[in-house]
Amino acid sequence: MEAVTQLYYRYFPEKVLGEVLTKRWSDNFVPAFAALLVIGVFLVRDPAFFNLASLTETSRQLAEFSIVVVAMGIVLLAGGLDLSVGSVFALANITALICMNLLGWPVWATVCATLAIGALCGAVNGFLIGYLRIRAFLTTLVTLIIIRSIVDIILLHYAVQISAVFPDSELWYFIGEGTVLGFPVSFLVALVIIAAWHVCLTRARFGWHLSAVGGGRRSAYNAGLNVKRTVFLTYVWSGVLAATAGLFFAARLGSAGSDTGVGLEIAALTAAVLGGNSLGGGRGSVMKSILGAIVVLILTDSMVRVGISGGISSAILGGVLLLVVAIDVRWLKNRHKILNKVYVSPSYFRLPEMPETAAGSDSPYALNDRLRSVELIGKGEIEGPEDVIFDRADNLYCPNRHGDIVRFLAPDYRDWEIFAHIGGHPLGMAFDRDDNLNVCVGGMGLYRISPDRRVEKLTDETNRTFLSVIDDSRLKLADDLDIAPDGRIFFSEATIRYDMHDWAYDALESRGNGRLICYDPRDRSTRTILRDLQFPNGVCMAGDGQSFFFAETWGCRINRYWFDGPNKGRCETVVPNLPGYPDNINRASDGNFWVALVGMRSPALDLALRRPGLRKRMATRVARDEWLFPNINTGCVLKFSADGEVLESYWDLGGVNHPMVTSMREHKGHLYLGGLYNDRIGRLKLPDADPEWASQDFYWGRSNGGR
Amino acid sequence: MKMLKCLAASVVVGCMALAGASAQEGLKDEIRQPTLDMLKGKKVVFVPMSMSFDLPEGWAAVMQKDAERRGYQLDIRDANWSTDTGTRAITQAITEKPDIIVVQNFDVTSYARTLKKAQDQGIKVVQVNMRSSYQTDAFVGADWHGIGEYAANRMLEVCGKDKGKSGKIAIVQGPATAAASVYQLNAITATLKDNPNIEIVSSQTGDWDQSKARGIAQTVIQQNPDLCGIIGFWDVMDAGTGAAIQESGKDIYLITSGGGNKTACQGVENGTFDEVISYDVPGQGRDLISTISILLQSDKDAGEEKFVLYTPNKIITKDSLGPESCWDLDVLKG
Repeated sequence: MEAVTQLYYRYFPEKVLGEVLTKRWSDNFVPAFAALLVIGVFLVRDPAFFNLASLTETSRQLAEFSIVVVAMGIVLLAGGLDLSVGSVFALANITALICMNLLGWPVWATVCATLAIGALCGAVNGFLIGYLRIRAFLTTLVTLIIIRSIVDIILLHYAVQISAVFPDSELWYFIGEGTVLGFPVSFLVALVIIAAWHVCLTRARFGWHLSAVGGGRRSAYNAGLNVKRTVFLTYVWSGVLAATAGLFFAARLGSAGSDTGVGLEIAALTAAVLGGNSLGGGRGSVMKSILGAIVVLILTDSMVRVGISGGISSAILGGVLLLVVAIDVRWLKNRHKILNKVYVSPSYFRLPEMPETAAGSDSPYALNDRLRSVELIGKGEIEGPEDVIFDRADNLYCPNRHGDIVRFLAPDYRDWEIFAHIGGHPLGMAFDRDDNLNVCVGGMGLYRISPDRRVEKLTDETNRTFLSVIDDSRLKLADDLDIAPDGRIFFSEATIRYDMHDWAYDALESRGNGRLICYDPRDRSTRTILRDLQFPNGVCMAGDGQSFFFAETWGCRINRYWFDGPNKGRCETVVPNLPGYPDNINRASDGNFWVALVGMRSPALDLALRRPGLRKRMATRVARDEWLFPNINTGCVLKFSADGEVLESYWDLGGVNHPMVTSMREHKGHLYLGGLYNDRIGRLKLPDADPEWASQDFYWGRSNGGR
Repeated sequence: MKMLKCLAASVVVGCMALAGASAQEGLKDEIRQPTLDMLKGKKVVFVPMSMSFDLPEGWAAVMQKDAERRGYQLDIRDANWSTDTGTRAITQAITEKPDIIVVQNFDVTSYARTLKKAQDQGIKVVQVNMRSSYQTDAFVGADWHGIGEYAANRMLEVCGKDKGKSGKIAIVQGPATAAASVYQLNAITATLKDNPNIEIVSSQTGDWDQSKARGIAQTVIQQNPDLCGIIGFWDVMDAGTGAAIQESGKDIYLITSGGGNKTACQGVENGTFDEVISYDVPGQGRDLISTISILLQSDKDAGEEKFVLYTPNKIITKDSLGPESCWDLDVLKG
């Protein structure tokens, strides 16, 4: 039975469901489903609709309509509403016809004039709404009426003359009716526009500003965005796009009819909302608009074909709109609940039998009280010193949870100062050959602080995993690092699925969500070298210039990875079965290595790791502070040799002086202890250690060219 | 239904055969069956402006009955007052390759190229009542020029300065580019041009909209208190024009035109309209089914032969009003 569970959790991609729900595009499921449903229904009812000739014609109409819907979507995204698109469409149509039929202008001049008219209409809307802060609904309703009146006046005087002439321009007819490789011209232009706006809204500054303004005008303003100009521009673009659609309409039909664009604003609004663009702003995309446009167009077209009379088809469209909006609203409201239920996706993991830790046993893990005599540095003055490190002048550096690097001054470490501020939560640290302090910052990435306190970002992204659902190119939780003799920085990222403070979720999953990453300062490249690790944590060079040790916290093991030499790419477990959860690893003066166990295993949790279903239920039904947690109230420091033998352990049974150990650093005969949730740094005299040994000098040499 | 009809037909034929056997043989109609076979199973698509008013409903009723009788298929695609929807309907229809498309144009240009495309694809196109500037295989409908001429001449008789009236008249058009507006207006201005007895004080577009027509008429009457007559271009829209006249309490002569639905007769009866020039929808329907029948029988290609059937007009006034003057949709359908 357990084997079945094991297979299921190894191969069934349960976590993908939750990851998909975190994506913004997962909002598109409802409209996409609606689109497929509509297409499916009419495919069954009316297969002739989907023959090639019919699809070509449909795509031509879809092109015009979807451009208008994209325009509406852009305005909606920025929190506005443009009811005047139908009138602008009509005005553009009549402008183009006047230019072509009456004035006899060349096509390029007609196109420019028409788009300029559209931009002008948009600019009027934009000025009134953006700069004078008049309500969008009223403003565009008024411009809808005014522009429509202008169109009517023009029609009264010129419609007959326009109708009497057919412009003598092949290009003009090509725009309206031509095809390229079987695709209508307007369709191809629409594709370009759609692609451009998709890139703009998702990748470009202007698009992000739009979403920001739509999501919260005040916040956008406080963030320093030019809200007025952004709003203004959305209407200008809306006008230009509506005019583009009107231009295609003019080229296609040459119609000076008075019904041009009547009701288009409602159809476009229906499509935009149906696609999932929020009426309140801040949420929307080009793809949503397109999906909505497809649904509305196919619905109306098919109803005409089936022979449903006008009034009833409008009613059906209205009904569909209501239904989809209702579904969409429910979806939005409940999406986070669903996400909370399904995102946490525990997997099967079986740990070997726990090693003996009883006091008095001959196990290297046997409990003792060797940490009881720890002296304290900076008690109550610092928060969250995850790691500690020393420079060549014996000053002590540690991070705190406010994003600072704190420096305690030698020799007594009584006085301290903020050495530098980075932000995030700095975690592991390492000095490089030139005495720069390299820091892994949770939530930010890999940073470097020069001796003159200049903070510089080294990297915050790596190559994205092929076909990964969540974007794992950003560094979420860079944890610990060490530097190869050639300057390459190897660091661990504990998990790509959770933020730092949700580490408990990752523990609950006990899946390999973490990875090892290499930053190469020579070409400033970053790439992932090892994936699917269980909360990779401490990293420490093995000393041979070809490999390093790293700890997998939830895996309770220490591995060695060769990045160079004959074994390049090999990864093997050197300490397989620890009694607790390993954290940082550092060098010891006697050639061995120190590792901190941040917490101890417990039989209950070990058993729960073999029951993913249990943990899943726990995650969804029980409050977080009632969960089975890794026990991080007790910890110890171990020493192990390069070939994986655990030599000795340092415990504090009372846990009074130093309750949690996440890292330790040996420096000049003392062992200094850091703890992620501690308010102090511990210092323990090591009687047998070399009193002159300092990690920095040992690794990089006593004298270096830089100083 | 078909089964029953066949059964009935065979019974009749059987009886006739028996009768024939007992009496003389008679002559068999040699071309009846081939003609019926030609019509059977053909497909006609009808794209009206909208199925929400009397004219298309009347035509559709007549055509539907004929289609059932002759065994061809009639599909109705409602353009629902939108040129764009109409164009879509026609382009869609083209891809289905029916035998005939019957269209009622919104205006003289919008469908022109699409209709040409249909003909190029070998589909015969009949335009009904509202023409496009592109002449297709057949046009069946009102003679707008003749209607305009008649209305203008009536105005000369009723409102001319030489008749002691002010000579001021107004025109309430449909959409400016609709065939009904274009050709009628052209006839009116041509007739009244250089005639000192009549002055057109206003010519505006009511866009087939009752309330718009009403608004136009109200304004014109206010601006010209001595207005003598109004020519409206469609009776359904001019119900609004007539209401404005009645509100003003003035005696303004209103001539309009329409399909001759019973509401037109009611309008004449209650004084909303003084004269209605009816282009007789049942008659047009008859012309339509004849045209369909002719085109289906013809072995000519689409666009090779072009003909026009103008509907004879009926003038409905209080004097000429009779029980047969107008038609009723329910009767037409039944």
